[in-house]
Amino acid sequence: MSFVARRGNTLVLAICVLIALPVVTRNAVWTDSAALLGIYALLALSVGLSYGQAGILTLSQAAFASLGAYAAAICTVRWGWPPLADLPVALLLPALIAFPVARLVARLSPLATALSTLAIGSIIAIAIRSADDFTGGYMGIAGVPSIGFVKAPASYAWLIWAMVVIVVFLYENLCHSAYGRALNVLRFDQARAAADGVNPPMLVSAAFAISSSIAGVSGWLYAHYISFVSPESLDAHLSISALLMAVVGGAEFILGPILGTLLLDGLTRLLPAAELQGVYYGIALIVILLVARRGIFGLIEGGLAQVRQLRRSRSGEVTALEIEASRP
Amino acid sequence: MSGGLVAKGMEVSFGGVRALRGVDIVVSPGAVMGLIGRNGSGKSTLFNCITGFVRPSGGRVSVDGKDITGMRPHQVVAKGVGRTFQTPRLEARTSVLTAVTCGLYASVRSSLVGALFGSPWAMREERLLRERAEAEMERLGLANLRHVEVGKLSLGLLRLVEVARCLVSGARFVMLDEPAAGLTSVEKDKLAAEVRAVAARGLGVLLVEHNIDMVRQLCRSVAVLETGNVLCQGTPDEVLRNDDVIRSYLGALGDIEDAAGGWQ
Ligand SMILES: Nc1ncnc2c1ncn2[C@@H]1O[C@H](COP(=O)(O)OP(=O)(O)OP(=O)(O)O)[C@@H](O)[C@H]1O
Ligand SMILES: [Mg+2]
Repeated sequence: MSFVARRGNTLVLAICVLIALPVVTRNAVWTDSAALLGIYALLALSVGLSYGQAGILTLSQAAFASLGAYAAAICTVRWGWPPLADLPVALLLPALIAFPVARLVARLSPLATALSTLAIGSIIAIAIRSADDFTGGYMGIAGVPSIGFVKAPASYAWLIWAMVVIVVFLYENLCHSAYGRALNVLRFDQARAAADGVNPPMLVSAAFAISSSIAGVSGWLYAHYISFVSPESLDAHLSISALLMAVVGGAEFILGPILGTLLLDGLTRLLPAAELQGVYYGIALIVILLVARRGIFGLIEGGLAQVRQLRRSRSGEVTALEIEASRP
Repeated sequence: MSGGLVAKGMEVSFGGVRALRGVDIVVSPGAVMGLIGRNGSGKSTLFNCITGFVRPSGGRVSVDGKDITGMRPHQVVAKGVGRTFQTPRLEARTSVLTAVTCGLYASVRSSLVGALFGSPWAMREERLLRERAEAEMERLGLANLRHVEVGKLSLGLLRLVEVARCLVSGARFVMLDEPAAGLTSVEKDKLAAEVRAVAARGLGVLLVEHNIDMVRQLCRSVAVLETGNVLCQGTPDEVLRNDDVIRSYLGALGDIEDAAGGWQ
């Protein structure tokens, strides 16, 4: 397969960003929305990798994001590091926690694993709140500097969406590799994957660690963009929202979580009453679970498959059944 | 311990059922070892305990003298022992090519990070994997099914995909669990030719098969299992003349072949 064909998702996303952002950034309110949407899209993407690929229903992504955000705040405000120097910390710190945790819990049932991620998220949140000297406790940390050359909100919107495109590029590479295929196999049958030579708990944990790094980056961007972090900034509700966004869009599809983010969060921004957000999310989830278990992208894929089949039977191309029937 | 894949005194019980009661089996490089026995005699269980899917309560397994007893499945694969499943385990939506390429996982050298960044080295390896998978599919007559979803295949062809996935892995010992059930006679011939070719390349093959003709054609040596014991072992002709075997296994064979015929 050619370079282009293996990066269809990245290309589609890059083109959409290049078309939409110049228009969106003409309006100050929209620019801010676009920046925040990008941050949530990263968080939803991290859910996509964890849940859609590795099969870990994760409820800890916002906690990993807050690790990234606090890493940014502490490194720059407390220790006076230049911005960007804190990025490796924001990437690695969540992974260093996520990997061993996943190694411990990946063998459990899916439900138990999900609950463990919830627990880990709570532990991180509590630790951040109680380490006053270090994290500023309930007060949080203010005055996080902007990232060097990036100062205006519009530049942030560009930086954030560039990061989304980069993450999708990496994610797509992973999906087209032996590791991505192995994740697909073990999500539905661990024994089959093991017979291919896959070490299921190891691979799942590695994927979870990468997913937590993506969440870390979203937190890092958040801290520098908003310039303030507190325990409320990226709380457990956000973990659940990110999960919803991924599931609504289609967690197993690369662009599914981004579509879900745009639909859920984007539309609530357009809706008049912000208090209704919870209701709106609940309805979206119920509708999706009823009509499209695999999310909107799953629905689209199903439709495309039907069209393809129709066209094939019209054009008289051999179908699998005919191959079966003509077996020697 | 000698060369080859050697299992000695394998014992497995499931609750009260003693599925294996001290089974010895040796698979030599370059030879096809047959394993026959009536339904429930423990053939698949022997596969499972050699490959780490079931923990044996007794016995030792070694590959070329190195002990692999109690290793986990992926470690056994890393030691060069591949297997197929009697009931193919495939996700309906994957294409045949992808399914076969999955069998190459153990030979992948580029790292997860390399794959993530799409390094040129990882991309080149990816192309190579595809080529190896296509070549194996060609040999087994699966090439024109490349883009067909596995969910659309019959059980017979699914088994053949399983075999391709196992053979492509580069394992030095392959264990095939009833690969020919549900295949047409032309497909069986292709499979037999490939098994022979694989053995000629120096791989050791352990073949579970109810198709006596195929066993006779391919195997230098055959072991007969009965309720967890090796009833007898020898060349196909010796074994098939043995009175105990005739009573225990061949008597039941009519039923088994009827069952296999039902899948076609
Ligand atoms: N996971 C399991 N739990 C309990 N009992 C099992 C399990 N696997 C196999 N057995 C029992 O072990 C015995 C051997 O089964 P096995 O599947 O190894 O037979 P087989 O020779 O492969 O038969 P077949 O020709 O039908 O494939 C049977 O009595 C079976 O019921
Ligand atoms: Mg069996």
